[in-house]
This record gives sequence, C-alpha cells and structure tokens, in this order.
Amino acid sequence: MSLAEHPLRKYTRPHVKKTTTCPGCGNGIVAQAILWAIDELNREEGLSMDDFVFVSGIGCSAWIPSPLFAADTLHTTHGRPIAFATGVKLGLPRQKVLVASGDGDLAAIGGNHLIHAARRNIDLTVVMVNNGIYGMTGGQTAPTTPRGLNTITSPYGTMEPEFNVAAMVAAAGAPYVARWTTYHPRQLKRAIKKGIQKQGFSFIEAISQCPVQYGRVSKLGRATAILEHFRDHSLKLAKAREMSEEELAGKITVGEFCDRQAPELASQWSELRARLGKEQG
Amino acid sequence: MKAAVRLKPGTHFIEGNLALAEGAIAAGCRFMAGYPITPASEIPNRLSQLLPTVGGVFLQTEDEIAAICSAIGASWAGLKAMTATSGPGVSLMQENIGLAASTETPLVIVDVMRFGPSTGVPSVGLAGDVVQVARGSHGDYQIIALCPESPQEMYDHMIRAFNLAERFRCPVFVLPDGFIGHMREQVVIPPDQEIELAQRKIAPAGTTPLERQDFLDPEVAPMPVFGRGRQAHVTSSCHNGQGMRNLTDPEVMHAFATMPIEKILRHRDQIVEVAADYAPGDVVIVAYGTVARSARAAAQAARAQGLAVGTLCLKTLWPFADQEVAAAAQQARAVLVLENNTGQMLPYIKAEAAAHCPVQFLGPRLLGQIHEPNAVLTRVKEMMS
Amino acid sequence: MAKVTLFPQACKGMEDCGICALVCPQHLFTSSGEMNEAGYVPTRLTEPEECTGCQSCMLSCPDMAIVVVKEKGEEAS
Repeated sequence: MSLAEHPLRKYTRPHVKKTTTCPGCGNGIVAQAILWAIDELNREEGLSMDDFVFVSGIGCSAWIPSPLFAADTLHTTHGRPIAFATGVKLGLPRQKVLVASGDGDLAAIGGNHLIHAARRNIDLTVVMVNNGIYGMTGGQTAPTTPRGLNTITSPYGTMEPEFNVAAMVAAAGAPYVARWTTYHPRQLKRAIKKGIQKQGFSFIEAISQCPVQYGRVSKLGRATAILEHFRDHSLKLAKAREMSEEELAGKITVGEFCDRQAPELASQWSELRARLGKEQG
Repeated sequence: MKAAVRLKPGTHFIEGNLALAEGAIAAGCRFMAGYPITPASEIPNRLSQLLPTVGGVFLQTEDEIAAICSAIGASWAGLKAMTATSGPGVSLMQENIGLAASTETPLVIVDVMRFGPSTGVPSVGLAGDVVQVARGSHGDYQIIALCPESPQEMYDHMIRAFNLAERFRCPVFVLPDGFIGHMREQVVIPPDQEIELAQRKIAPAGTTPLERQDFLDPEVAPMPVFGRGRQAHVTSSCHNGQGMRNLTDPEVMHAFATMPIEKILRHRDQIVEVAADYAPGDVVIVAYGTVARSARAAAQAARAQGLAVGTLCLKTLWPFADQEVAAAAQQARAVLVLENNTGQMLPYIKAEAAAHCPVQFLGPRLLGQIHEPNAVLTRVKEMMS
Repeated sequence: MAKVTLFPQACKGMEDCGICALVCPQHLFTSSGEMNEAGYVPTRLTEPEECTGCQSCMLSCPDMAIVVVKEKGEEAS
C-alpha cells in the first residue's frame, strides 16, 4: 500500500516520505494530532492547509511541520518562533498561524516571548511538545525536568523544580490553555482543534516521550514504558484542584486550564485601521 | 488620538529621526516592530502614530529579538517591514540578522548608533556599530548598509533602503548616529508620485517549492510570500534552491553560504554609492556619516587657503566601496581617514588604499565629539609638509 | 467491524517503538519478523477480524503507519 493512501498524506509534502524522529518519539503523535484536527476542520469548516502558516523553532519538535506539512512553513531560530509568528499573524490576519516547538524552545530560551504573546492575546495556536529534556543535544536538564532527575547536566540530580508551563501561560492571560499527554491523542486532537478555532492565544502543552534521552536518564526506557507512566500518573485537573501539593507530587495534571474570551490583538488592529479610515493594503 | 497625518510635500525643518519615519512611510513600510531605546525612540514614537493610518501595523515588542523576528515574519507575510534600534539592540538582534540574510528576507533595520561599548552613553552619537552590522552574526553573510549624514538623507536613505531590500531580498541597514538622529535641519519631502518604489518579485501561484527556485539565485529568486497557497518552505537550516533542508551535501552547504553573498556582490555597482569631490594630487579625506560634514568643511577651508584637498564620502558602508576607495587612493597624494570611533573602517580602507599612497587616521580629539574642521585642517597641513 | 491498513515501510518496529501494541485493547499487534527497507521490523495484526475499530493505534502511531476505518455492517472488501 502506497504511503499516499494514508488519509493524512494529503496534508503532507509528497516528497517527504519519512519522519525524522527516533522510533517511538512522541513528535509523530503530536504531528498527527495537529493534522487530524485540521482534517476535522477541513470537513466541518472547509479549512485547508492553504489557510495555515506553521512556525517552529529549534529542537526535535520544531521539525514537526518542517518539512512534513504541505503548507507555508517557517523554521526559525532557537526560542523565537512565537515572535516570528506574531509578525506573520499581524501581516496576514486571516491566516491561521500555528506554532509547534519544544519545551526548551518555548519555555526556556523563548519563555519571554511565550509570556508576552499570551498577555497580548494574539491569535496564535501554540503546541508545545514537552518531553522534559533536551533531546536533540543529548539529554541535558530542561526547565521542565522533574526535580531530582539525574540528567547529563544534572548528574547529581536536578535541584530545580519543574516549570508548570500551562499554568504560567494561563496566568499570563491566554484565553485557552490545555495540557494532555501523548497517551491521550484524542484529547490532544480536540484541544488543538479548539485552539485553532479559538480567536486568541491558545496554548496546548503535549507531555511527550523522548525514549532515547529521557527514557535513558529516567531509566523508564522504551517509549511504551514512558506512555504507561503517563497513563498511570495523569490526573484530571478538576480532581487535582482538590488535592494537596504533597499528594500531587509526581502527577501530571491534564485537562483545560482555561477557556474564556478576551480582546484579540490582530482583530483590534483591523478595527483600528477601519476606524482610521483605511483597510490594510 | 485622532488619525495622525503625514508631513506634506514641501520644505520642513525637522529632526533626523522624524524625517526617517516619514521616509519609511513614503517607501511603503507597513510594519514596524521595535523596543524603546535612546537615541532611536522617536522613530517608533512617530511610526506608531502613522502606520495604522496607512493600513499598517506597529508592534512594541518585549525585546529587540522579538522586534526583528516579528519584522521578518511580517516580511514573509508580504509587508514591507522594518525595525529601529541602537547598538545594544543590534547586539541582541544579531542571530536573526543572519537568519534574515540566509532566508533572503527583505528587511530594513535602522541603527541610530550611540556611544558604546556596553550601556555607554545613550545620548551621544558614535559610529560604533559599523562593523558589527556587517560581521556580528555568526557565519558568512552579506548585508547592505547605508550611512546618512543629514536629516534629508535620513528621509532619502529610507526609500533607497526599502527599494534595495525589495530588489535584493536581504536585510538593509540604515546607520545614522545619534547626532543625525536628533539633528534638526531642512528636509525637502517630495510628493509620493515622484518617489520611485521597488516591489519584490513574488513566486508564481499554484506551484510547489519543488517546482520553483525560491532561494540561492544570484539574480535574486522571486519570493514565495506566505498566505498565497505556495507551500513555501523557509528554514534557518542549510537549504537548497527550493528551500529544502539539506545537512549532508557539501555542494548545497557551499551554495547556502555563498549564494546570498554573491547575489549582492554581483550587483554592487547598483548598490555602492560615494560622493567623490577630489582632483589628482589632492590629499583625500575619506569619511562617512556625521563626520563627512567635518571632512567637507575642512576641505572647503583648505581650498580657500589654496591647498589641494578633496573628499570621498561613503554613502554606503556595505558592500564596501573597495573600487571607489582604490580609485581615489591611486590619484591621491595621501588619504586621511576620519571616523567617529577608534578606526573601525580603517582596516578596510587601508586594504584598498595603502598600496597606492600613505594612509593616516584621525579620530575626534575626544571620542564621541565630532571632529572640529580646524583640527582636520591642521592634520592635512602636517601631511602636506 | 473495521478495516485496518498497515504501512510497513513507514513503521519503526515493535522492538524500537511498539506503541500500537501498548494501546490496542484487543492486544492484536505482534512483530512481523520481516525487516523493512529502513531496517526496522514492522508490526502486524494477528487477528484483523477482532479489531473493534477504536483507532487508538492509528492516533498513537508516531509514523502514520496505520489507518483504521470503521465500517458499518458489511465486512471490508
């Protein structure tokens, strides 16, 4: 059976036959979740890949859209995809602009852009693949690495607490924030779809497995073992809110952190231009 | 506030930064992202008023990195885009200046240069960034840099900068120093219909990147701007002419690094501009920017005293005016280089001139102060004796 | 009933990945024992007729190597 028979292949560049990820990597699950969400929007709302611009930074997950997705794709510098995407969106307010990148890219080196994009409430959909480690560079500790884990650059165990990125983005003002794991591909797809539909900044954190680096340093090993860990340690947000910090140690809270309306930046610019008597040329 | 209004065609007495902002609008700029910094802040101040009235967008970013990145994003969205900053901001932007050069993105970057290093003296002009704009990002690349010496040139150079960025798909710097940024002088603003504007070539619709040459064309490839169904593939990684990532083929690596340079150097005659006013046997004063004013004043004073003194003022710093400097040195009795820094362009000037005639350097008596024409004249006389 | 299509040329294998086997509620996936061009040993279905069409394997496959189409009533042709 030719690869082209896969229903998602109509959304991928025909010459890109192989994914560049390691066996068992969660990036492929997230890539599919994005494409299945677009597939549903295609059937329900007539959206096509021509309606999208995909922007990514540096790291394994920055290669989710580039080169795979058959759309305008912009692969940028480390930490900066949200800043690039902001310019794209303000220049092409009718396009859907989706950022796919990793936790190191978006929450470490690019953390300030993430905070301010959420605060501005610009209509971007940001999918952050969080594997808790620097995978591409060989297993260094990340701001998302669980405290105590021995990584390549925390050989005696990380002393820093892990970054609750979804909660931070919600606190910064984003109207839609959700977190799921790659063990929850349906929920992930629904959250991404909702994020694309949301007029405003939406942030979907996908807790994901890096079997090669995280699997090694966590001693969890294979992709399936990490997925089982996600399955066994995930906790719905509603339930987590009733629990103490001690009880929540080692748990992954999943669900929707917020879903609200707020004035969006690109549309406010359109309104201002209209008020000032000119449409964008 | 009520809709701001552009300055009307005619003669105005205005500050350099204001003239520059008016020039940007006249050039077709429709996106500016910036972060406040002395001595460049009047540019975002003015463009935040004007851009929405002409259908554009102004974005005040969280830092200068976000400013250049969002301007690059807006350029790929099809808008003429710019950012404006000073030396510390350029230092922060450096990584993405390289990205703009290697992704062949039309972009105008204004650097109103101030006294460094470090925080230095924000309000004192000093031509301290003339090399960092060309060599500050990692790897080999080529930018274009224009160097205005008056508020009038702030206006004129912005139009030229956008035209060059569109024509050659590359980052173009405009490099005034803080003195020119804050100088008030007569500026003549022409009617829009008299201004010639260049527009980027755009890749044909209905094709995919594999059917097109989107990058690495020494004659400048049409740009596959976003939002038009072109499935553009733009990457900061090493890429081939179709924009596709390739990290294994040495031929592709070589082309990726050298073609965007070749693209500009091949057309250097359309880019490089100098103002030459010298005769054979003159002591030729080479200068650029604010200091060019001192050079001209000194030459005028010298000529009034019957001395053979000429000037070569560089309007573009990059690509470097190598042929023009060499031609001047071949005819000159000697070359005197004036710079308001410790001699950043001197090695480049020497490399072209020193084989033909003696070359000397003169900084201002106190760095950051402009050369007094009398001090220049005194040095010229010493060189002649 | 459901029709399952596998793309063994895209599969990164039971040994190295094996996510389909983890998420299948019917435990239908096993190793095919045959190496593909990329050097992985892809999975195969033991009893395709037992597939409930839940699509968990399709949604969880990182390499777009599985398609599950739910079919109403009649058996897949």
